[in-house]
Amino acid sequence: MGKILLVIRYEIQTTIRKRSFWIMTFLFPVLIIALSLGSQLLAEKSFADEEEVGLLRSKEAGITGLVDEAGLILHLPPDVPAKLLQTFPNQASAQVALEANELDRYYLIPEDFHQTGEVILVVSDYSPLINLSSNTIFEYIIDANLIGDDALARLMIDPTPNEVLYPQAVDIQAEDDIGVTSFLVPYTTMMLFFMLISMTGNMMLTSVTKEKENRTMEVLLLSLRPRELMAGKLLGLGIVALLQMSIWLGGGLLAQGSGGQVLKSSLAALTPSFILWALAYLTLGYLMYASILGALGALAPTAREGAQFSFLVMLPIIIPLALNTVFVESPHGGLATFLSLFPLSAPTSMVTRLASGAVPAWQPIVGLIGLAGTTSLFISLAARFFRADTLLSSAGLTRQRLLEALRGKLN
Amino acid sequence: MPTVEVSHIHKSFGPTQAVDDVSFRVERGEIFGLLGPNGAGKTTTIRIILDIFKPDSGQVSVLGGSLDETKKNRIGYLPEERGLYKDQKLETVLLYLGTLKGMEMSAANERLGEWLHRFDLYQHRHKKVQELSRGMQQKAQIIATLLHEPDLIIVDEPFLGLDPVNTRLIKEVIEEQRYAGRTIIMSTHQMYQVEALCNRIVLVNHGRTVLYGEVEQIKRDFAGNAVVIEGQGDFSDLPGVLQTRRENSDWHLALQPGNNPQDVFRALATREGIKIERFEIAEPSLDDIFISVVKGDDEVEGVDNG
Repeated sequence: MGKILLVIRYEIQTTIRKRSFWIMTFLFPVLIIALSLGSQLLAEKSFADEEEVGLLRSKEAGITGLVDEAGLILHLPPDVPAKLLQTFPNQASAQVALEANELDRYYLIPEDFHQTGEVILVVSDYSPLINLSSNTIFEYIIDANLIGDDALARLMIDPTPNEVLYPQAVDIQAEDDIGVTSFLVPYTTMMLFFMLISMTGNMMLTSVTKEKENRTMEVLLLSLRPRELMAGKLLGLGIVALLQMSIWLGGGLLAQGSGGQVLKSSLAALTPSFILWALAYLTLGYLMYASILGALGALAPTAREGAQFSFLVMLPIIIPLALNTVFVESPHGGLATFLSLFPLSAPTSMVTRLASGAVPAWQPIVGLIGLAGTTSLFISLAARFFRADTLLSSAGLTRQRLLEALRGKLN
Repeated sequence: MPTVEVSHIHKSFGPTQAVDDVSFRVERGEIFGLLGPNGAGKTTTIRIILDIFKPDSGQVSVLGGSLDETKKNRIGYLPEERGLYKDQKLETVLLYLGTLKGMEMSAANERLGEWLHRFDLYQHRHKKVQELSRGMQQKAQIIATLLHEPDLIIVDEPFLGLDPVNTRLIKEVIEEQRYAGRTIIMSTHQMYQVEALCNRIVLVNHGRTVLYGEVEQIKRDFAGNAVVIEGQGDFSDLPGVLQTRRENSDWHLALQPGNNPQDVFRALATREGIKIERFEIAEPSLDDIFISVVKGDDEVEGVDNG
C-alpha cells in the first residue's frame, strides 16, 4: 500500500504542477458556459428575427389575392396593412393576375368553407420550403372575421406571447430566461462531465504510454508490481478528477450567491443530493474509462498509437454529447432514459438528466448498480493488461494483440 | 552463500528461445561480468534475475532465496534502455524513484544532494530531465540506481554515452561499491572495462553459457590462442586465424579454437613477401577471447554475423 500511495502522490503532484491543468480547470467551464449561452442567445435572436422577418416579408412580398366565395372576410384587423390583400370577384380573374405576375399567390375561400373549413392557396412558384408565415397572417385574418374579435384572434395564433418565468426553487425575480436555462443546464452538465471523464481518462493513457516511451517502466517494475502501478495511477488521477470537479462545483456554488439571473436559475440544480449522485457517477465513470484507457496504454507502444484507439473507447460518452438536444427537449424520454441506464453512457447521461429535473428514484440507483458492476469488470480486465511483458513490449497495437491480451495469452 | 545463483534457466518468447540453460553464481562483494553479443539473451537473463520475467524452467536465487518485494528494495538496476521522466524536474524524478525503493523522503533528499554534488548535477536539479545533456542524464540514471544504497547492483552498459572524465568517475564509483561489500553484475561490450573491473565473467551466446569463470583463469586458458607478430608485410588472411588486428607496428592474431601458434607459424613460413622480426605467443585480451568464442560458437551454429 505504501508504494501505491507514492504513485498516487507522484501522479497528483506532477499533474497539478502542469500549467495546462490549471488553464483547463479555470478556462474550460467559462468557455462552455459562454459557448452555450452565446449559441442559445443567438438562436433566440434568430427566432425572434425570423418572426419579425415573417411579418415584414408578408408586407414586402407583394400583394396577396383573395377570392372570397364564402363572403367571410368583412374586415381586416387594424395591424394588417390594407394593401396586403387585393380582392378578386372570382378565381378566373385572380388566376389571370397571378399569371401576369401581378400576384405571388391568392387564397380562394370556397362557398362551402363553413362546412369544410378548407381554404385553397394558389402560388405562382411552388417550393417545398415555401415560407408559410403569410399563412399565419391569413389565418389571423380569417379568425378575426370568424370570431369578430381581433385581440382574441391574435391570442389564438400565439397563446403565450409574453411568457414570464416564476421559478419556485429559489427566491428570485422572474425573467424571460426559461429557454436559456433549460438549454444551459443539461448542455453544460453533459459537457463538463464528458470533459472530466475524458480528460482524466486520457491522462491515464498518456501516463502509462509515457512511461513506456521514456523507458521508465523497466526501473519501475523493479520497485512495484504492475498492478500496484495501475492502482496508484487510477487513484491518483481519480483524485485529480475529483479536485477538478470540486473546483467547478465550488465555483458554481459561489456563483449561486452572486451570479446573474440565468446563472442563478441554472445553478439551482446544484442540490446536495445532485452533488452526491454526481460524485458517485463521476467516480465510477472515471474508474471505468481510465482503466480501459490504462489498459490501452499498457498495450500501445506510444502515446500516439494509443490515442488513435481512445476515440473508439470514448464513443459511448461521445454519443450522448452529440445527442444533447435529446436531453434538452426530452430529458425523461425513452432515448435519454436508455442512455442514462446503459453503463457505458450512464456517467454523463444520468448526471445530465438529474441536473435537468426530477428522475424517478429507482433509475439513478439501477444505473449506479449497473455502472459499478461494469466498472469492476473493466478494472479486472485492465489488470490483465498490466503485466511486465506487455508493459515492456514495443510491439504495435493490433486487434490480434488486443484479443490475445484479453485472453491472457500475450507474450 | 552467493548473492545471485542462476541454475539452468530457460525462457522462450513464442518460437524464439531467448535463454537456453544458463547457469552461473555471483558471489558477494565481486564485480561479475555478464557478457555476450547483441541479442545473446543478457537482458532477458537480467530480467529473469529481477523477477520481471518468469523463467519457463530453472531456478534463480537472489540475496539468499526467491526475490520478494523487500529484496527488490535492496537491488539497484541500470537498464540498457535508459529511462527517466523527461518532462519532470531532475530532483523530483530521483526522489520519486528513491522513495519507491523504500527510502524515507528526508534521507533520500540528503543523500541525493551528496550524489548531485559529486556528479556536478546539483545546479541542474531543478531543470527538466529533457534539458540535460545525454551524459548528464546518464549520470542521473546512475544516481537513481545507487541512491538507496542497494546490496546488489545490476548495471547494463554503465559507460554508454560518457566522456573519458565521466567514464573514470563511474568506474571509481563502481569500485567503491565493491569495496563497500556490494555485489555488482555488469553487462558491457567494453571488454577493457571488464578486464579492469571484473573478477569473474559469464559469456552468453544464443541464449547459452559459452564461457564462465575467473577472468585471469580464462585468459590463461586462452593463452596460445593469440599471437603477436612484429615484422614487415601483410599478416592478414592466415588459415586458422579468426581475426587480425593491427596495433601500432604489431599484428594481433586471434586463433580459432583447435589451432595453435605452431600452425600459424608454419603458415607464415610458406607466405612470400613477409619479414618476421618478432613472433610471440600472447596472453589474449578479453576482446580476443570474446571474438574467438563467439565466432567459433557461431560457426558451430552456422550463424552469419555479417
